[in-house]
Amino acid sequence: MTTPPTVTPYRSELPPARDGFPQLLHAEWTKLRTVRRWSLTLLACVVITVLVSLLSAYSGSSDVSGDRTPPPVGPHGGVVSDSFPFVHRPLTGDGSITARVSPLTGREERPAEPWAKAGVVIKESTKAGSPYAAVMITPGHGVRLQSGFTHDTAGGTVARDRPHWLRLTRSGEEFTAYESADGSSWEKVGTTRVNGLPETAQAGLFVATPEETMVQRQFGSNSVGGRPARVTAAFDHVTVDGGQGAWRQDTVGGGAGGGLRGPQDSSTEKSGTWTLTGSGNVAPYTPDVDITQQSLAGAQIGLIPLVALGVLFITAEYRRGMILTTLTASPRRGRVLVAKAVVLAGVSFVAGLVAAMLSFLLSEPELRDRMPNPLFHPDVALTDTPVLRAVVGTAVLLAAVAVLALALGAILRNTAVAVTLIVVALVLPLVLLSGLPIGTAHWVMKLTPLAGFAVQRTLPQYEHVDAVCLPENGCYPQGPWAGLSMLCLWAVALLAVAVWRLGRRDA
Amino acid sequence: MRGALRAEWTKLRTVPSTWWLLSAVSALTWALGAVATGAVSADQCPSPQECHEDTVKLSLTGIWLGQAAVAAFGVLAMSSEYGTGTIQATLAAVPGRGRVLAAKAAVVTGAALAAGMLAVLGSLLAGRFILSGNGFSSASLSFFEGPVLRAAVGTVLYLGLIALLSLGVATVVRDTAGAITTVLGLLYALPALVELVGDEKWQERIREWAPASAGLAVQATKNLDSVPIGPWSGLAVLGAWAGAGLLAGAAVFKLRDA
Repeated sequence: MTTPPTVTPYRSELPPARDGFPQLLHAEWTKLRTVRRWSLTLLACVVITVLVSLLSAYSGSSDVSGDRTPPPVGPHGGVVSDSFPFVHRPLTGDGSITARVSPLTGREERPAEPWAKAGVVIKESTKAGSPYAAVMITPGHGVRLQSGFTHDTAGGTVARDRPHWLRLTRSGEEFTAYESADGSSWEKVGTTRVNGLPETAQAGLFVATPEETMVQRQFGSNSVGGRPARVTAAFDHVTVDGGQGAWRQDTVGGGAGGGLRGPQDSSTEKSGTWTLTGSGNVAPYTPDVDITQQSLAGAQIGLIPLVALGVLFITAEYRRGMILTTLTASPRRGRVLVAKAVVLAGVSFVAGLVAAMLSFLLSEPELRDRMPNPLFHPDVALTDTPVLRAVVGTAVLLAAVAVLALALGAILRNTAVAVTLIVVALVLPLVLLSGLPIGTAHWVMKLTPLAGFAVQRTLPQYEHVDAVCLPENGCYPQGPWAGLSMLCLWAVALLAVAVWRLGRRDA
Repeated sequence: MRGALRAEWTKLRTVPSTWWLLSAVSALTWALGAVATGAVSADQCPSPQECHEDTVKLSLTGIWLGQAAVAAFGVLAMSSEYGTGTIQATLAAVPGRGRVLAAKAAVVTGAALAAGMLAVLGSLLAGRFILSGNGFSSASLSFFEGPVLRAAVGTVLYLGLIALLSLGVATVVRDTAGAITTVLGLLYALPALVELVGDEKWQERIREWAPASAGLAVQATKNLDSVPIGPWSGLAVLGAWAGAGLLAGAAVFKLRDA
């Protein structure tokens, strides 16, 4: 009897390879790194972004009028509109001012603007931009307590046809506002704190109004017009507790807020009733153009090569049959796609960051310099929070677009269709949105991946300032983070669909 | 030449993506046109007499979307041959490279023109229907009036020229992704630049020379003075782009190994 020969199965001498996620990342990184065309595509993304930003900066109108009058600057350090007829008398130490204010009327008996204001104010001086606290009635937003241009507290509602009583009391740095419909039962509006007010301040009456804006939009022709509005209000039963000295009539500011200041600012007194007419505003000033956003505009064009790269990163695997090797080496398919997304997002983020920083640093100074009066635009540096948010946000945005492209490429497996869909979705709105009715345009800018560009916006928005949000001015209907989240949501959702499809379909 | 034409036609018609893309041309054009016409109403005009809305151009807005499908179609007609390697069989069967390209151009343009005709007619009809519902008088949309006919015929020709341009670019680039990116860049990124550039002189220059915005000047039927470039000369600019693309493609195609 012979014993059957024992067969030893072949065992490789090499230590078993690990197939964790880091190895997968390394594999995908190697694939991306070693295709020379793809590196060039990334470079093209950076170059195009910077070039378009430079073009938009250096092609701006250079016929600078040379007007460098410094605008008034509020206590918060920002440019403000501060121009109104001011009837005032000195108030030393604690005290209060009370008045009955008639309903506001606009120009030629038309209704006043919703944010037109008339009320009582305690202000440091008649210098534009000096700190103040004021309580006022507005035609559209009831009673408001405002201070330092940026703080706003809402009070009760105001009857449209009856006068309303207002009172503002000072106690040190604390100001408390009261309102009343009849002058006997008073209700507290709120309390605000104003720093840096001297012992003797000016207490008085004021009226102010934002300018009228008229927007007409049709396909191919839109016009946005603004003209100074005018508002008139009458004040009676005016008393200043602790006031001394005579009443004086002054006009604060003028020329601020884009030079819209009516010559018709006036104040007259007739048997104890003051009638004030004003056309300037008391509010923070927001320029039409967001310079930081404009300096990053190149990203909207620079993303085109990135989209091609994102789509190719998966469709090239199908075309070359490489996908078979990839899936053999790593049979857990979902992880392959996630690894691809991570590598692509990382690389695009770095390229986007370089592009955004270069664009900002190279074009922002030139853009600001070419504005009609650069001093109206905040002088920003890369390290300011809003700018940093815009620059890093642009990099995140480009990374998200690349992942979106990868996901759509994986779902469709068709290079041409995937590239076309994403490029058209992200670039065509630039051409067409300015012609759409504003409501439709806002929906597009809120819900499509385009929403991500909201992150490039740096100008603050105040609830107590009505701004017409026009797509052609680069205004997005939602905040920077909300917009960017919408884009990221699209990318993640499509990636999830792609992972699910990849597992369900033959490669 | 007839054989080459038949061969190209067979290749084109037996690929399902052809039919998908050609139906997408009409569907996308109609959809965007309906949105655009549905969004306006005669109430926005200061008065019925002062209503200078270019309703024909408005009805044809959808071309901005439909042209993307035409571009993809034109690019794929050439680049997929390189992608799959059929180009070798094609050139073995028809060694005259000029003939191959000419046959391809003829077939692709013909298909694009047919699809464009459908898209334009549908958009005009839909636009007429929707706009009269929105209070615009339908008299301004009679088909065989000079400017309306010019806009309609010009738009169909526009799509044909876009197909030729795409084919030319694809012949030069050979790679699908590169070619489609280049064409989309020409069609969309250049007009988008207008919005990003501040200077009016530059805006005018880009409008006059970018293939899409110059070519679509042919759609204007009203306020012809405010159009940056005349209708037919605008289309001629696009023709020059398409001709240059195709010539470059032909030159490279003849000189280079497949």
